[in-house]
Amino acid sequence: MADSSIISRKHLSIKTLNRRKQWYGFFFVVPAFLFIFSFMLYPVVYSFYMSLHNYNYVYDTSPTFAGIGNFLKAIQELSFRTALKNTIVFSFFYFILVMGLSLTIALILFHIKRLHGLFRTAIFLPIVVPVSLSALVFLWILQENYGLLNYLLRDVLGLTALAKPWLNVGSTAMVSIIGVSLWATIGFETILFLGGLQTLSREMLEAAEVDGANGFKRIFYVIFPNLKETYILTGIWAILHGLKVFVEPNVMTNGGPGNSTLVVYQEVYYNAFNRFEMGYASAEAYILAILALAFSLLNMYINRAKD
Amino acid sequence: MRHKLTHGVMYTALGIVSFIFVTPLLYVTLTSFKTEQEIFQVPQSLLPDGIYTDNYASIFSAGNSFIRYFANSAIITVTGVILVLVLSALAGYGFARLPFRGSNWMLTSILMTITIPLAVFLVPIYLMEDSWGILNTNLGLILPNVAVVLPFAIFIMRANYIGIPKELEEAALIDGCGVFRTWWNIMLPLVKNGSVIVIIHAFYNIWGEYTLAKTLATKPEAMPLTVGLTLFKGEVWAFGMLSAVIVLSMLPPIIIFMIFQKQLIEGITQGAVKG
Repeated sequence: MADSSIISRKHLSIKTLNRRKQWYGFFFVVPAFLFIFSFMLYPVVYSFYMSLHNYNYVYDTSPTFAGIGNFLKAIQELSFRTALKNTIVFSFFYFILVMGLSLTIALILFHIKRLHGLFRTAIFLPIVVPVSLSALVFLWILQENYGLLNYLLRDVLGLTALAKPWLNVGSTAMVSIIGVSLWATIGFETILFLGGLQTLSREMLEAAEVDGANGFKRIFYVIFPNLKETYILTGIWAILHGLKVFVEPNVMTNGGPGNSTLVVYQEVYYNAFNRFEMGYASAEAYILAILALAFSLLNMYINRAKD
Repeated sequence: MRHKLTHGVMYTALGIVSFIFVTPLLYVTLTSFKTEQEIFQVPQSLLPDGIYTDNYASIFSAGNSFIRYFANSAIITVTGVILVLVLSALAGYGFARLPFRGSNWMLTSILMTITIPLAVFLVPIYLMEDSWGILNTNLGLILPNVAVVLPFAIFIMRANYIGIPKELEEAALIDGCGVFRTWWNIMLPLVKNGSVIVIIHAFYNIWGEYTLAKTLATKPEAMPLTVGLTLFKGEVWAFGMLSAVIVLSMLPPIIIFMIFQKQLIEGITQGAVKG
């Protein structure tokens, strides 16, 4: 020990330096980790524990063990099954439309040269608008008598038959919510697709052109098959976004009319914070998380398996 | 000829899409300058008759809670963004350059949280905050918001540190510059780009956050505007005033978008491609 003190700070041995770096690494990481641990990692475990218990936060003094009772109850209960069905319907149409439209827009943006900045700004702008506020605006746009959409259909285009009480009928309410979600997120997915397109090598695209693959041929045979990594990414994002939809139905329809736009996320929210059934709500949330994981893995498997 | 035609189709399609995307924002802005009579007029006129500013004036009248919501959002967002920046600048460096036993495991568990729906966290966070007595406070929203944004921020910062040549800091360390000072003096100035991306994303996510706020702030005086404004939607629609407050609430993120569009796009691409 006496010897080491003689060594000046300028000549720290590599070993001491490495040990010291490890301790520093720990202290650099720990503050952030504590946040994530307390508000995400610990809650994941705790809500799993909760899902196996019956616990009404208002009436019960402590949780009582229920095994998989809450999960069984959820899959038997009508409101959860309706919510699950609606969430899957929403996710299915949302997924197909957001993938198709974003890819198309990205391809066009990738090809054109003029007015690029203007189009990009317009299409990316909705990403930054808080969704609950755009939901309020759309609520007004879709309003039966004073709304902009019916005005355009009825008074500008003369398509009176198409003017509808959009949010007062189950099917069109669902269509409206899907539409608002698309409006809010297409820009984001387009950016991801553009990122994927930019990683395609120039040589490959030029070689395809020399070989006579032009226009649509080039898109279908050269570009589409080479975007697999991007499909995984955009696909997972779209799946997660679809399954966890909450803001649009909560602000625009509150699950109605009837239960026609009730989604799982609202079910969780309602059972947890209106009825205070913390155990049951946790089980519902877990079912949603398991579905999200399963579909994400499926998407990854499909896109990797083709090789 | 055919080439010209496809170009025409592409430009028309993009034009229509852009129009649809901008219309709601434009419409709410125009409406905020209309009188109530004009708003409820059938058929309506798209442009307001004149510039009517009473909707904006009414925001500042007594009893309007918008100022409160806006202040809550501002406090939560500014504090949250600063915390995210500091914590991710530290942790990103730790993960990139100062590996220790267990650091890989920690990083994996942090990145895994990105894919878990927020619904799973809501009940435990609510119970925790209730026992700490911070439900319905700004602090109660700052803490979980920071946690939710951090994984992405750490990921971006770590990638930026990894991009810096190792020789730079090794030279500094061997010269006797401590680890902390090496980070502060040499590394931090080199990850400016990453920091801007982190700031912008944290800003958008926290400013627009709805679910946590809806759960943890149930009293109007504690609500940020994403939740507070939905209370204005009632049986009787005062849509003129509501559009004015919506316009004011959308302005901060839109202004930042206009300035930092490049970094926003870079952040989305970086965060995703390497994820």
